[in-house]
Amino acid sequence: MTAMTQPATAPAPNRGEPGGVGGGGSLLRNTWVQASLVIVVLVAGYWASRALGHPAWAGGFPTAVGDRFMSLLDEIYAWIVVNRNNSPLFLYFFNYISVGLGSAVVLINRFLDFLTWPGVTLIGVILAWRAAGWRVALLVLVTFGVFALSGLWNESMTTLALVFASVAIALLFGIPLGILAGRSERFYRGVRPVLDFMQIMPAFAYLLPFVLLFGIGNPAAAIVTAVYAFPPAVRITALAIRQVPKGALEATASLGSTPWQILTKVQLPLAKRTILLGVNQTIMLAVSMVVIASVIGAGGLGDAIYQALSKVNVGEAFQAGLAIVMLAIAMDRVTGAVGKGGRESRVPENRRLPLRGALLALVVAVVAVARMLGVGGWPRDLAVDISDPVNALYDAIQDTIGPATAALATWLLENVLGPLADLLMNSPWWLVVLAGAALGWIFAGARAAVVSGASLVGVGLLGVWNDAMDTLSQVLVASVITIALGVLIGVLMSRNDVLAAVLRPILDAMQTLPPFVYLIPAVALFTIGRVPALVAAVVFALPPVIRLVDDGIRGVPAPTLEAARSQGSTRRQLLTKVELPLARGSLLLAVNQGIILVLSMVVIGALVGAGALGNDVVVGLAQNQLGLGLASGLAIVCLGLFLDRVTQGRRPSRA
Amino acid sequence: MPRRKDFLLRALMVGLAMVMVSSCAVRTDQIARDPDTVRMAVNGWVGYEASAAVLTYLLREEMGYQVQLIRTDEQPSWQALDQGVLDVIIENWGHEDLMEIYGPEGNGTVVDGGPTGNEGVIGWYVPAYVAEEYPEITSVDGLREHTDLFRTAETGEQGEFLGGSPGFATQDQGMINAFDLDLQLVFAGSEAAQITEVRRRYAEEEPVLFYFNEPHWLQQELDLVRVDFPDHEPGCADDPNHIPCDYPPYELNKIFRTGFVEEDSPAYRFLAAWTWTNEDQNQVAKMIADEGMDPDDAAEVWVRENPDEWREWIPEGAMER
Repeated sequence: MTAMTQPATAPAPNRGEPGGVGGGGSLLRNTWVQASLVIVVLVAGYWASRALGHPAWAGGFPTAVGDRFMSLLDEIYAWIVVNRNNSPLFLYFFNYISVGLGSAVVLINRFLDFLTWPGVTLIGVILAWRAAGWRVALLVLVTFGVFALSGLWNESMTTLALVFASVAIALLFGIPLGILAGRSERFYRGVRPVLDFMQIMPAFAYLLPFVLLFGIGNPAAAIVTAVYAFPPAVRITALAIRQVPKGALEATASLGSTPWQILTKVQLPLAKRTILLGVNQTIMLAVSMVVIASVIGAGGLGDAIYQALSKVNVGEAFQAGLAIVMLAIAMDRVTGAVGKGGRESRVPENRRLPLRGALLALVVAVVAVARMLGVGGWPRDLAVDISDPVNALYDAIQDTIGPATAALATWLLENVLGPLADLLMNSPWWLVVLAGAALGWIFAGARAAVVSGASLVGVGLLGVWNDAMDTLSQVLVASVITIALGVLIGVLMSRNDVLAAVLRPILDAMQTLPPFVYLIPAVALFTIGRVPALVAAVVFALPPVIRLVDDGIRGVPAPTLEAARSQGSTRRQLLTKVELPLARGSLLLAVNQGIILVLSMVVIGALVGAGALGNDVVVGLAQNQLGLGLASGLAIVCLGLFLDRVTQGRRPSRA
Repeated sequence: MPRRKDFLLRALMVGLAMVMVSSCAVRTDQIARDPDTVRMAVNGWVGYEASAAVLTYLLREEMGYQVQLIRTDEQPSWQALDQGVLDVIIENWGHEDLMEIYGPEGNGTVVDGGPTGNEGVIGWYVPAYVAEEYPEITSVDGLREHTDLFRTAETGEQGEFLGGSPGFATQDQGMINAFDLDLQLVFAGSEAAQITEVRRRYAEEEPVLFYFNEPHWLQQELDLVRVDFPDHEPGCADDPNHIPCDYPPYELNKIFRTGFVEEDSPAYRFLAAWTWTNEDQNQVAKMIADEGMDPDDAAEVWVRENPDEWREWIPEGAMER
């Protein structure tokens, strides 16, 4: 889902790529030859260091600075624990927020309880109908049906309350910041790196600091979710404000409007649609985050998944996952439809008020009757349990392909993951940094080279060099697999409309299915350790990659294809010489997004034994080691920055 | 027009400042909370959940309380007690260090609530079929000779020691160092992942050596043997990098929030009076984990079968609530 949060500005325009696939010039100017040379140098450095018996100057990054950083954080932690109920900072600030928020979530939840299940369902359906038409209303009805029949009504209401509270906070801060960023270039430039940072920082890594400041349970969960969900609100609002035609602004300014008037009468109304897209993205991210927030004591559907997993009950986890998928899809469709323009206008002006009045009366009547009859949440006895068939299917799959997948896992470990991790961890650190910078230079230019080198040095300074290199090796392998599969399936999908029609809803569902759900099956099939983590990461990152490749190829103009065909191109030539090169922008974005999404699974992978940085983050959270957890989280951000810069392609030179 | 706006803005700022200064300081335990709700931590293993299910059932059905279960790891739940967002941890394993920070000697926000009656054992386990084939493997020396049995693709030349969740209290690395074992510690990352892996190897009769504990429902499904190490003695685990002894036996206890104790509600008296045996807990845990029952249904079964046991926990006069 994160894939959609970055406005699609990344792909660079096709300025005569250096080298490229069929590019001219000497062999040395070919990008891929240069990159291979860098790798050769790195491997040579590794062997040299090994031959010398890994002397200290040619080993991992010294940890002195990192150790000091971690112990400083640990001291801060200890101070907060002692002073939480004494220090004015907490008494007058953080505790206000946490008590207010915790209470807000509780109150929203109580209100939903008060409405009873017929009331909530009716309100949801009516709102969806008025805002988005009867098709979406039907979808909402089905969603509530899934909540009820899966026996997870109360959990769903808790999740809904948490999503409402956190989306409200995210928009409360996100939209004003976005407006500021849209009106002031300087502010935008200041805010952008912060947003980038927040989007790469793994959610797990900032759970602990927020728990520390705001307390376990709903308050921290609401804030963490809001923090996770708010970057798209800022970005897209800023984009929307910028897209307002200059002419309209100048016209109103010349009429003597104040800046406030320009904002409220011109910019906001014209930007409304795009801003609603941002709201949509914010909600989607919030839904995915509430699952992770269950780790710090937020109840609801995420908790149900977590609980099922602790019993190794895949069917039950799947059932709760399904409820989340439905929630996400329904909220997406409703807000999406609002963004495209409401349906309100279909009803003539003079009938709107009576219609609203009648609907309101209906809701009040239903709630009143339901309360009089003592109806509360959906009765659990009327639930349909699908966990048994799912578990049976899971067992069958495990029995049939289990041995083969386990063998594949062993092969992958011994021949790919192991050697690569060894190479990165045991090469001299400065050589790895130089290689990273060189790759940045080759693929994306001088600025990227500086950023790549600096972010790798940053990893070292944080004191987690070895674990970071281990993680990097896993991320690289998972990314390569993701991109290979993604391009393959994306190309197939773009050529076959039936396949596309079948795959699209599956991709939709996969993108919203919480990764926790497929962790345990991954262990059962691929044994414990780095491989199941890798598999889970691939499953998570694949849908957006497939979608981007498909979109890119479908976006190639039909006349171009006709022209190529009329000149007698074979299908293969059409693909390699016309479609893929023309879809280069989308492909680059797909590669970039694939890698960033794989990286975001590093911490979740640690839950099935991937170790390395992810494990450090989990240990930090579980054992209250703020230093280790935060330093590792920051190291993941640094790795993300490095990978992002190397793969985003050449940017147009910009001041 | 701008004048009026300025005025409004200023009034707003002043108002806000007044609110901040005049209102009293807020402590985290002032969060909106129903006096009839008990907030209970649930840590991530099924035994704990079994206890929580039975206590929840009794509090709700017999005493008219609501119970809010909050799922977190062990250390964060202590922190939550300290912050006042939780009332009780019902199964605590050791954690003397945390008691020093938060207990009467430190912040004074938590108190020891006495034993639950369960005895906890943590140790290193192998499946029975491994112990049958290599009887000496359950001793330190025998284990040292056979570490190569546990080699996997993940650990290469070394044997694999499968750790549990990173949230659990562990001394495995210290023991590996002290007993000079050629083992590499691989964290399963979560208990669920660890159990899945152990079950998989058990089904194929592959060797596996892992961190585990009792009481645990899996002990009834699989036949496991504990490896013998020299008994735990006070002070032997002081250096985390060199621990030449086994895990200590744990007398599991309850931890209460001080404020919850001071309220002295029937709910508190009930939880303070509760104790039960490992068999009780295993019975409920097995229903939940192995038979896939809803925790609430499992609790109901136990409650129906053992009325004499739980009636003693309910304080006088609480039944009429």
